[in-house]
Amino acid sequence: MPPAARAYSRRDTVLFVSCLVAAFAAIQLPDRIRDPFAAALRQTLVAPLVALQSDAEQSRRSWLTRDMREAQRDSIALRAMSLDASLADNDRLRKLLGLGEALRWGFVPAEVLQGRGVGEEYTVVLSAGSRAGIRPFSPVVAPEGLVGMVKSVDPTMSIAIVWAHPDFRVSAMAVDGGAFGIVGAHLGGEPERYLLEMRGVPMRSTLKPGTLIVSSGLGGTFPRGIPVGTVIAEMKTSELWARTYLLRPAVAPADVSDVMVLLPARTTAGVQTVWKTGLHADSAVKSIVAAGDSLARLAAKRDSANAPRDTTQRRDSTAVTAPPVVPSPQREARPAKAPPPPRAPTTTTP
Amino acid sequence: MRPTDFFRTLIAFIILVMLHYTLRPLLGWRAGPDFLVIATLLVAIRVRPGAAAVIGLCVGLVSDSVDVHVFGAGALAMSAIGFTASWLKAVFFADDVLLNALFFFLGKWAFDVIFVLAGHRGDAGQVAIQIFVWSPLSAAVTALFGLVTLLILRPVLRASPS
Repeated sequence: MPPAARAYSRRDTVLFVSCLVAAFAAIQLPDRIRDPFAAALRQTLVAPLVALQSDAEQSRRSWLTRDMREAQRDSIALRAMSLDASLADNDRLRKLLGLGEALRWGFVPAEVLQGRGVGEEYTVVLSAGSRAGIRPFSPVVAPEGLVGMVKSVDPTMSIAIVWAHPDFRVSAMAVDGGAFGIVGAHLGGEPERYLLEMRGVPMRSTLKPGTLIVSSGLGGTFPRGIPVGTVIAEMKTSELWARTYLLRPAVAPADVSDVMVLLPARTTAGVQTVWKTGLHADSAVKSIVAAGDSLARLAAKRDSANAPRDTTQRRDSTAVTAPPVVPSPQREARPAKAPPPPRAPTTTTP
Repeated sequence: MRPTDFFRTLIAFIILVMLHYTLRPLLGWRAGPDFLVIATLLVAIRVRPGAAAVIGLCVGLVSDSVDVHVFGAGALAMSAIGFTASWLKAVFFADDVLLNALFFFLGKWAFDVIFVLAGHRGDAGQVAIQIFVWSPLSAAVTALFGLVTLLILRPVLRASPS
């Protein structure tokens, strides 16, 4: 081996041995020297590499959890969607509870099974029948107002026609009693098919747009005071001795999923205090909703407890405040078989 | 080594070190590729054994700085495989794919054996599993990635004509 190569080889060996000694020394270093040295390396030379590693690990975690995050996002979206439906359901049921609270007795709650076939647009199947006390021609109502009338009854179900049915008629009047007429379906073209028209209004009676029309109680099928619709405008017809008005119905049949069927005794007793038709239609519905809102009732009760005692106010409030007990549909259905409680005579039959 | 070759090797070395701190954690494999070993071996066969040992020591200290419990073990292992690779290259070397793969495999396995023994990690059973199960697996993966790296970096690593 030439001297230069041997010198090189010796130098390599010395360097290697030095490296081994340094490495062994590093292994044997006490913590108080090793840790600061390692920390200094991490904070200077290795810092960019550690940052790279950290980013890479974060990317890997993100990649691995993407399915889970997507599932979580979907769950949240689904929950948000069902929340809207729950709110709508809650609102609808609260209205129904309010109506039940206002009616108090003589009604049967029923689910509406909407007919979707040809010729079934104007009839609905109700989930209660003669066993619950329902009879043909029983009025079907919703918190917003009149829905229709029971046409035929089976023991466990019944079929009702809604107001859009061509055969449906109800004797109606303006809420102030200024005009009477017969309300039926407006048999026009498709956009206007789901409106009502009030025919036979005397020429001397004019109705302003927005006037609330309620059932008049004449004829005995529908009790007085159920909201039917509001006046949109007067229609031009060939009749010279009577006016016809176009009405916006109080209830949209497509939106109805739960209704109350009034039993004959309740129809006879009347429902004038239920919808408080002296108010505007919206206010009447709001008052029904408020009756079903247990939170609102609690708040009202708390307010009345805190308020100073005033005999006049108390008399007024007892006249309008609904009792705190929310009726159960099953419990409320019972009075149909038995005669109505003594509270009924406060209402008048037309 | 000529300056051009030096810079080419340096670029390849930096790329491999970067891969070690990006691709390896991204893969997250239990027996992942060790790009630091590939980088050290790649440089070691181009320098003298003494320089290879020093480079191995530095790379080992860098890798040990993030794991202080075995500080120095990586430096010892890297220094040893660097020196050995450089010395072996001087004894026999062939530009053969299989030989390179074997080179990476043995280099990584030797590194793991020295690292585990010097670092005193776990009991005898764990050490045995590490040395005879995980280390060969990791060495095989490292060899595979080393070959792919060599193929990709071939234009960079090819020695310029003298």
